[in-house]
Amino acid sequence: MAEQHGLSKALKLDPEGVAAAVERGQKPLGPLPKGTTSISSPAHIFNPARFERDE
Amino acid sequence: MTDLAYLSVADGAQLLRAKKLSPVEWTKALLDRIAAIDEHYNAFLVVTADKALAQAKAAEAEIVKGQWRGPMHGVPYAAKDIFDIEGMATTCHSKIRKDHRAASDAFVVKKLRDAGAVLLGKVALHEFATGGPAFDLPWPPARNPWNRDLHPGGSSSGSGAALAAGMAPAALGTDTGGSVRNPATCCGIIGMKPTYGAVSLNGVFPLTYSLDHVGPMTRTVEDNAIFFHAIAGHDPRDPTTANRATPDCLTDLKAGLKGVRIGVVEHFYKEDAEADPAQVRAIEQAVATLQKLGAQVKTIRLSPLALWTDCNRTIHQAEAYAIHETDVQERPEDFSALTRNRLLPGAFVSSAKYIRAQQLRGALCREFADAMHDLDAVVTLSSLLLPCRIDDLAAVAKTYDQQCRLVFNVTGTPAISVPTGHTASGVPLAMQIAGRAFDEPMVYRVAQAFCAATGFADKRPPIKIVERAVA
Repeated sequence: MAEQHGLSKALKLDPEGVAAAVERGQKPLGPLPKGTTSISSPAHIFNPARFERDE
Repeated sequence: MTDLAYLSVADGAQLLRAKKLSPVEWTKALLDRIAAIDEHYNAFLVVTADKALAQAKAAEAEIVKGQWRGPMHGVPYAAKDIFDIEGMATTCHSKIRKDHRAASDAFVVKKLRDAGAVLLGKVALHEFATGGPAFDLPWPPARNPWNRDLHPGGSSSGSGAALAAGMAPAALGTDTGGSVRNPATCCGIIGMKPTYGAVSLNGVFPLTYSLDHVGPMTRTVEDNAIFFHAIAGHDPRDPTTANRATPDCLTDLKAGLKGVRIGVVEHFYKEDAEADPAQVRAIEQAVATLQKLGAQVKTIRLSPLALWTDCNRTIHQAEAYAIHETDVQERPEDFSALTRNRLLPGAFVSSAKYIRAQQLRGALCREFADAMHDLDAVVTLSSLLLPCRIDDLAAVAKTYDQQCRLVFNVTGTPAISVPTGHTASGVPLAMQIAGRAFDEPMVYRVAQAFCAATGFADKRPPIKIVERAVA
């Protein structure tokens, strides 16, 4: 898996560190609060107006 | 005679304006102190002595002519080496960025330049504002002035050390999961993470786009409010900054706590995680002090600390990895082991997990806003544990999530770390005071009342100046 992510060098350098990283990265999130579902809006909503500049 | 090492911004500004102190005298005194003691604390990566003296002389000339620019005019400060300063390297304390040169100033550096502040130099951090106190980098880690063997906190470690050791009265830090408030806690000073969007991130090397905050670090609450005013404000080049006036944090700073409603989030440190008894005793006494000062205090509940931690860490891992992916893949040996281990999990966070973390963030933000509906501020611990030994890497790694600071990076709301006392061996203890979005004035007001009543922030570490032999 590490190699698929382009981490061959890191794996060679520190195999234990990479193994721990896989575990940490894939650890599931805790239970979501009531009312939060897979279709809840994320915290940040894209707002194209914020990219407009007065230049 | 004024102790220039520990002179506050507020007092210094008054003396400067009244022409009873020269910016050159103050700057020279601090440069001398840095030269005398910083070899023990490693706070500074670069001391810009010549430029500092030139800026101090320019400030002096203007003040003498009656052209006083404001409370930061002629006041020395230090910048975490993650802020761009034109012509200088922004190393981020990393071998990878050693040869970088910034083309222009970060927005906040420019604001401070325009305010007439004097840059003393750039200070140490945890590599790329993550990692930890690493010994496998081109520069040594900053040391805690209260005890060199203890972790000074991070990632704004040099900022905390420079302030506690009396080498600067103000320093810039950044905070993604507590990196201003952690060194403030460990070094016994004041560290504020303002509202997300209150201070520009332009020209600041990112760690986690949606959790990063620039924060002022000082030794007094009033200084912190002054420094905040100097750096806050809309930046047209940073779409994350809010286009609104910076709230006035000074007018009601000393208004006291009568009738102020404060919630205590005690389940974080009494149920959700095991905290050091000294930290718990200190915050319990602090809450009693707030009540004595007239605050209406009640216990409140939020989601468990572990859920806030999951949310912050998932977003942090994914966004930080997006920034460093190429270097982690191609030159992993050039990162410190601590930093590499902090960045690598991001490679394995799925897009679905990241989006769920952002959904969770929305829910947690709403939960906090609801909890604040009938409150003016909340208090909780900053660190659950005491600072560990700086060379105990396992203990350092354990401290990352043994804290309540990252909660307020998730909400983006203001939170400040203030000292709540010291252990018998002199290790600083601290709590956080947090508030509603853009209500920095209330957070500062509570912090000021508490610090004025207790005096914990006035205690100084045992710095020994070793006279250097003159050739």
